[in-house]
Amino acid sequence: MGLFDEQVAAVERFLAEERSAGNVREFRAGSRPAWPSEQSLVLEDDTAIELGNPRIASLSSLVWSEGPVEDGRISLVGPDVSEMDERGVPFAQVVIAGGKFTDVYESYRDVREAIYDTVLEGFMVRTMPSRQSIWCRISREAVSGGFSLEDLGDALIWNLKTVEPVTGAEVLFVTSSVADVERLAPAASGARRVIEALMKMYEEKNFDCETCEYRDVCDEVMDLKKIRERLADQKAGAGP
Amino acid sequence: MILAVCGKGGVGKTTISAVAAAALRRRAGVRVLVVDGDPAGGLGMALSVEAKKTLNDVRVEVIDEVKAGERSKRGLAQAMDYRLAEAIIENGNLAFLSIGRPDDVGCYCRVNSFLKMAIESLAGGFDMTVIDAEAGIEQVNRDVMATVDYILLVSDTSAKGVRVAETIRDVAKRMVGGDGAGLVINRVRDEGEVESIRRSTSLDVIGWIPEDDSIRRYDENMTSFFDLPECPARISIENALKATGLL
Ligand SMILES: Nc1ncnc2c1ncn2[C@@H]1O[C@H](COP(=O)(O)OP(=O)(O)OP(=O)(O)O)[C@@H](O)[C@H]1O
Ligand SMILES: [Mg+2]
Repeated sequence: MGLFDEQVAAVERFLAEERSAGNVREFRAGSRPAWPSEQSLVLEDDTAIELGNPRIASLSSLVWSEGPVEDGRISLVGPDVSEMDERGVPFAQVVIAGGKFTDVYESYRDVREAIYDTVLEGFMVRTMPSRQSIWCRISREAVSGGFSLEDLGDALIWNLKTVEPVTGAEVLFVTSSVADVERLAPAASGARRVIEALMKMYEEKNFDCETCEYRDVCDEVMDLKKIRERLADQKAGAGP
Repeated sequence: MILAVCGKGGVGKTTISAVAAAALRRRAGVRVLVVDGDPAGGLGMALSVEAKKTLNDVRVEVIDEVKAGERSKRGLAQAMDYRLAEAIIENGNLAFLSIGRPDDVGCYCRVNSFLKMAIESLAGGFDMTVIDAEAGIEQVNRDVMATVDYILLVSDTSAKGVRVAETIRDVAKRMVGGDGAGLVINRVRDEGEVESIRRSTSLDVIGWIPEDDSIRRYDENMTSFFDLPECPARISIENALKATGLL
């Protein structure tokens, strides 16, 4: 069982439900020219669309799967940028990376940095890892230049696949409603708990399960348990 | 360009910063970051913008992030940028950030070194940054000044004011990114005073500002400097700012 199997399954259930209701549009990464990559500051005055303002609804999640992923698929539930008729739009971004993640700790950092490295002209992103929030501004210029969430998905997938163990990646965006964004919240916070447990193991090297606040997560996720046992063995082997 | 306005207490740093902000506000297309580096927060008042959240609040929140287990530099930088975005108040082409007052002693990371990180992370996106620095030499430390290109030293006509300006220049000399520093003399009633200061100081005197009642009136009525008319003081401040390259 993989680290994020439960969350990946939850995201897939969400997609399946939306798909059967006819609410999902799919794009393929690489089917249009890449949007220029550039770190951008978008001031309020230049902002046409704001995605995931914390006062509306926002969610960002990164999970991975060691099983097959739909490589290159960009799914969109809700309006795309050109169809948005309000300035403030609820937003969820879920990234599913596929591959064999042997060094989970390093891999997680690398994959996360690939997401941070995704910068696009006229598009400003702010993310808050601990709150799983993402807050983006799209400039008027980018909107009139035809910027689409397809461009964002495309850039994310491209960058993710530069990370060594990543062999495939897919992205889901939700812009339909606050309620739809919130449906993904349990999966996002579940993934966050797994990561926090992992970080704690690696950084604090404390394997006293009786006192650990993440014990329930470890008990659920077999892979975490295995990692913990391996690390604890290493520590014991290292001697006094 | 990053310009810091420094000098002894009460010499007119905030007035000059506010006039600079207002002048840049009128330049559409130029992106400007205005930092109130004084914990007392006078610049916000002069511009009638009220910061609901300060840089110090951001600092505390980022420390909480560390406590919550986030250890990677990139993760913390992301958290800082997010919180900074919440703290910034925008007005047209202008973004305003206030440093705030630290109230806890747990100085995990002092506000001034945090200010440096924030400026480094933010200033790149802006064409011009103006910092209304705290009085004296507190902020003229390696941290903040390493990011600054030009120090605008402000003094009144008193010998003490000029001496503080000289001290700041000396302390900052080794740290300022560019080699820019210049002195403006404020609240001048008699032009002769400017000449005698010019002769007595090694600082480059780039301008002087007359004593001007409209400045005092604006201050007393708490009217925003965005609406300050073209009074003699405003004109001289803008001229001095042209000499620094800011305008
Ligand atoms: N040219 C001027 N003419 C008349 N009054 C002035 C002039 N310049 C500044 N003042 C007045 O002097 C006082 C102090 O100015 P200001 O607040 O700008 O100084 P400061 O250096 O920022 O002070 P502090 O160190 O307390 O932050 C204010 O009441 C202001 O209105
Ligand atoms: Mg002041």
